[in-house]
Amino acid sequence: MSESRLVDGLLNHNDVAFETLVREYGGAMYGVILAIVNNPPDAQDCLQKAFVQVFENIQSFRRDSSLKTWLHRIAVNAALMLLRSQKRHKTVALEDYSQHYNKYGERTVFATHTAHIDTDSADGSGNNIEQLFERNETKTTLHQLICQLPEKYCNVLLLRDIQGLSTKETSVYLDLSEAVVKTQLHRARLFLKAAFLKAK
Amino acid sequence: MLVIKRLMTRYMPGMLTCQQVDRFLYDYHEGQLSFAENIKFKFHLSMCTDCQAYVSGYKQTIASIKASEQIEQRPEKIPEDLVQAILKSIKR
Repeated sequence: MSESRLVDGLLNHNDVAFETLVREYGGAMYGVILAIVNNPPDAQDCLQKAFVQVFENIQSFRRDSSLKTWLHRIAVNAALMLLRSQKRHKTVALEDYSQHYNKYGERTVFATHTAHIDTDSADGSGNNIEQLFERNETKTTLHQLICQLPEKYCNVLLLRDIQGLSTKETSVYLDLSEAVVKTQLHRARLFLKAAFLKAK
Repeated sequence: MLVIKRLMTRYMPGMLTCQQVDRFLYDYHEGQLSFAENIKFKFHLSMCTDCQAYVSGYKQTIASIKASEQIEQRPEKIPEDLVQAILKSIKR
């Protein structure tokens, strides 16, 4: 069924059209949600809620964007709402992970001494973050760390680095300026980098 | 090397400090620095092992976050029982 005909069917609340929609786009939406909530049962519940929203809001779909884009946005919003409702955002103080400098602007150490820079490694990279991420439990740990970020940082990181949206797309999704997205993403990445080294 | 870096960052015009490197890091990673900024950034890195480690860790973190999601197998279709559950909740 073409997208245009599918949308016509959805606007007329045609059962066949909705079933086609769920079967055709359900997998992609599930993938988007799962990447954000990182828990299959939660992702399934969330997908169900997302499709209810689609059903309830289909009249507001404007054909200036593709159906896929519109569904993606609904899936992302539903997943972010779920994270919020689960109150996983135990806010951490990002300042604890920020860099310190002396009066000449020279790098000193992280405020948390466990995450200090190790310049003695053989490859000069100073850490083994890639190896950390190769461990089985790391993905869960990573997700937990992301969810510990203040919500605004968490959302930006999930959309930019996990979903792979552009800065502009992220700014539209979250109703922020591109400059704010950049700043928040940078801080979120620095937090994750430091937090991972601390967890090592 | 540390002494030379200190002297250069304090007295050489245009030489970035570690703090400035931190400010430029996002745009450097996104490839959005100007030609001149890029040269200054890389020049600082060539002299500063602390910043080399810092920038390397930053890049690795981002690469690893992205890689961790690519490992995940995303289904093309959702299971039939979930399809039915969704259709049921829509018709409610």
